[in-house]
Amino acid sequence: MAVGFQIAPMIDVVFVIMLFFMVMVGSVKVERELKSQLPGMAPPSADTPQEMPDEIIVGVEETGAVTLNEEEFDSPTDKKLPNFTATLMRLKQETDNRNAKVIVTIQAEEQATYERVIDVLNALAVAKIANVTFTIGSDVGF
Amino acid sequence: MGGGGGGGDGEPEFQIAPMIDVLLVLLIFFMSITSAQVLQIDKEIELPVAGDAKKKEKNMMNEAALNVRWTKGKALILFENASYEIVEPLVEKLRARKESNDKYRVVIRGDKRLPAIEIQRVMSVIAQAGIDDISFSALNKE
Repeated sequence: MAVGFQIAPMIDVVFVIMLFFMVMVGSVKVERELKSQLPGMAPPSADTPQEMPDEIIVGVEETGAVTLNEEEFDSPTDKKLPNFTATLMRLKQETDNRNAKVIVTIQAEEQATYERVIDVLNALAVAKIANVTFTIGSDVGF
Repeated sequence: MGGGGGGGDGEPEFQIAPMIDVLLVLLIFFMSITSAQVLQIDKEIELPVAGDAKKKEKNMMNEAALNVRWTKGKALILFENASYEIVEPLVEKLRARKESNDKYRVVIRGDKRLPAIEIQRVMSVIAQAGIDDISFSALNKE
């Protein structure tokens, strides 16, 4: 007797695989990116009028405390940094109204964790602030 | 009999072939959503979480991942399957990449436990190589 191709078990298997992927979609971790720009080689063009940008210094301490112009915001363990983010958004709005630029300098202590720096970068991304520079300890920044 | 319910006489029959078609399309759809990236990813790195980071651009030709591992209290830089204890050869390699491709950018995939000073070091290496377009990798959720 010839062995025929069985369609029913194949559908069973396909169903199971499909269910697996459907369930996985909910919990899948996607890698995303926070963009940044290092000081480039191109000199700023001389034609455009240079406005004085607003410079903000964001401190990241070893304890996880985040400061904005030396004023501490949120608790050192809060990943979301709600007050910090809200303040940045207000600031961005205000400078946008004046047509000015905001430049943020992240001043992280040497042993501050990278995770905390990313939390700060995330808050800056929410506030749509793109001009970010870094200084760590007493070193020259990038 | 063979009408498939299309207005012939007799009972409409359950058609298995179109169903398999649909199932396979769904399967491919879910597989493509959950697909892993082809970027050189180091699984030993615990990425930080940034829920508001942007989606990754599909730009594999012009970018490379620079993995920074944190093992036994030491940072280890990995680039294109090679680890670098001394940064000078890495600067040379990155500079060569940048020279052959002007749009070249680097994605920093740092472990969340890294101290900020190590990320500073990596950024200075990238800057020395003349690359100004960088981004930091982060997960969308824990």
